[in-house]
Amino acid sequence: MKFYRVMAVSRKVFRDVANDKRSLAMLFLAPIFAMCVFGLAFSGDVEDVNVIIVNQDQGYTSPMGDTTYLSETIISNLDTKVLNIKNMGNVDEARQQVIDGKASAVIIFPENFTQNALLKTQDPSYPDSAEIIIQGDDSITNIKNSILQTVNQALSDTMTAEGVEPALKITSDPIYGKDAEFIDFFVPGILAFVVYLLTTILTLITFVGERVNGTLERVLASPVTEGEVITGYALTFGVLGVVQVALLLAVAILAFNIIVVGNVLLAFLAVAILAISCQALGILLSSLAKRPEQAIQFFPFVILPAFLLSGVFWPIQAIPAWLRPFSYLVPPTYAADACRAVMLKGWGLTKIWPDLLALVIFALLFLGLAVWSLKRGKN
Amino acid sequence: MTKPINASFQEIIKLDVGKVKNVTLENEYAIFTNHLTKKFKDFTAVNDLNLKVEKGEIYGLLGPNGAGKTTVIKMLTSILNPSAGDAQVLGEKIPDGKVAPKIGYMPQETGVYLGLTVDQNLKFYGRVFNLKKDEMEKREDELLRFVDLLDWKNEMVENLSGGMKHRVSLACTLIHQPELLFLDEPTVGVDPELRVSFWDYFNQLRKKGVTILITTHYMDEARHCDRIGFMQRGSLIAEDEPLKLLEESGEDSLEDAFLVFSKRDKNRRKRVVS
Ligand SMILES: Nc1ncnc2c1ncn2[C@@H]1O[C@H](COP(=O)(O)OP(=O)(O)OP(=O)(O)O)[C@@H](O)[C@H]1O
Ligand SMILES: [Mg+2]
Repeated sequence: MKFYRVMAVSRKVFRDVANDKRSLAMLFLAPIFAMCVFGLAFSGDVEDVNVIIVNQDQGYTSPMGDTTYLSETIISNLDTKVLNIKNMGNVDEARQQVIDGKASAVIIFPENFTQNALLKTQDPSYPDSAEIIIQGDDSITNIKNSILQTVNQALSDTMTAEGVEPALKITSDPIYGKDAEFIDFFVPGILAFVVYLLTTILTLITFVGERVNGTLERVLASPVTEGEVITGYALTFGVLGVVQVALLLAVAILAFNIIVVGNVLLAFLAVAILAISCQALGILLSSLAKRPEQAIQFFPFVILPAFLLSGVFWPIQAIPAWLRPFSYLVPPTYAADACRAVMLKGWGLTKIWPDLLALVIFALLFLGLAVWSLKRGKN
Repeated sequence: MTKPINASFQEIIKLDVGKVKNVTLENEYAIFTNHLTKKFKDFTAVNDLNLKVEKGEIYGLLGPNGAGKTTVIKMLTSILNPSAGDAQVLGEKIPDGKVAPKIGYMPQETGVYLGLTVDQNLKFYGRVFNLKKDEMEKREDELLRFVDLLDWKNEMVENLSGGMKHRVSLACTLIHQPELLFLDEPTVGVDPELRVSFWDYFNQLRKKGVTILITTHYMDEARHCDRIGFMQRGSLIAEDEPLKLLEESGEDSLEDAFLVFSKRDKNRRKRVVS
């Protein structure tokens, strides 16, 4: 392997990308666009859910003569960012709103709500407990869960404020990711995803072009070896991957103020190795396509597994257990994991090395297969 | 300074053998193939080919579409591995990378990067052959002058006409001053005036000792070759100097001559079968 020939190939690939405004846009603008769209739309936080409150609570009048309405305190503690609250007096009318799809749930405070609540806290042997009834459209689980969670939160806030200490309590004391939001989880993932996707697709298209235009043949007839071609490509796409990620990260930090506690250079390293294996994958796939149009047919096979399995958009734990082993067969899984560990937890090389090792193994495997596919094409 | 005696002695012997018996040794041919065969699955694209091209010769490979001309060239340039037989190119067994720096290959499908400028294409191929900077500039200037694309140097190749792309392709092939050229239909789509200048250039190269294996469908061009090989269905059916081929076939155009040889070949096959 001669360095000057590797550099010749690498420079040429770089020129080819740099000359083409569409390729540049695809590499550098599309990821930013994707991050903004996904980051904003896909935040995972449910907002503006229409609910109707039917408050039939009669309150509780203490022997001293003053009346308290716990229900009202709870209602005032409901997070109005999540819930759009409307009040109604009649349960049937309110239910009709849910049936007609105008609201997601009816939250009912029964007549004796405050009474039961207070009496039960004073005397645990009191027979009835206080009850909040939620009748809703449970067909969208995300929304159902947010309603339940919001009501629960309001309930526990109210109890704390009223000086009723719950018997059991959970305190969250984050070790990592204090104040992390969805976007903080998402950005490291999308870095890996974008590099995976664009590198694979761009090399696939470029390399099919090389085959169709006869340039690959001319190069193979020259002193350039298969290994040099692939090393040259790997070099360029490794560098482009890092530039892509640096740009994306800059925008994420400026626009979304994301959390970065670790050394981003380690994230760059992970992404560079990912890019190298992806360009080899692109070359490998190109050997299956005779024409550029055929390459497009591979896109779903490139995009979907990574989208679904790599833990970019949702954690791997959210994937059914039987599918999870396949997650470990797609390279972006490791890159996303490494980037997350570095950026959110500040992990160093001593802790992320298994991810890097997996990426290196993928890179070597794909590079080897790509060289093999070029050599095999000679027979 | 002085060579070891036995080395020069060997050289003398070798030269003498060549002169006295008037034979060329295998490895002194520019191209020497020995039962060269290429199969794609069950289909035989090149069948038992024995081709000898001498150094400094322009050899034209002619034949209908699908005859196997391109496949022969791809084997000789180590792009494809032979299925059977072997070959030597400039004295080196192929497939092998050793001979690559000395050969120039112009593929049938242009083989230039559409997304690069003319200049960037030439520079890339120049770098591949490790041309030094000033040498590269000099070569580039000469070649662009020759293919008449000096004004298009910084134009993107995709914006050039078909014939112009072919001219860029030829320039890329010649950038490193190869000793042996494989030109697969180099003049397709090139206008007549320029085609004449191409052939002038090829003749100049030959005078410098460059060997050229060329394929073409333009029979008028084929007359410029020192020797012509007619190919059909992967085999060489006739081979000689253009005038001798005309003489032997009794025709006065190479097209008609080809038809005669083709018919003879078919009859021969029939006889073999029956
Ligand atoms: N990669 C391949 N796989 C299968 N068959 C092939 C392949 N390449 C060439 N062939 C077949 O081999 C035969 C010879 O092809 P080749 O390209 O050498 O012809 P040619 O003489 O150069 O024709 P043309 O004048 O059209 O360029 C053709 O029938 C072609 O279909
Ligand atoms: Mg051909």
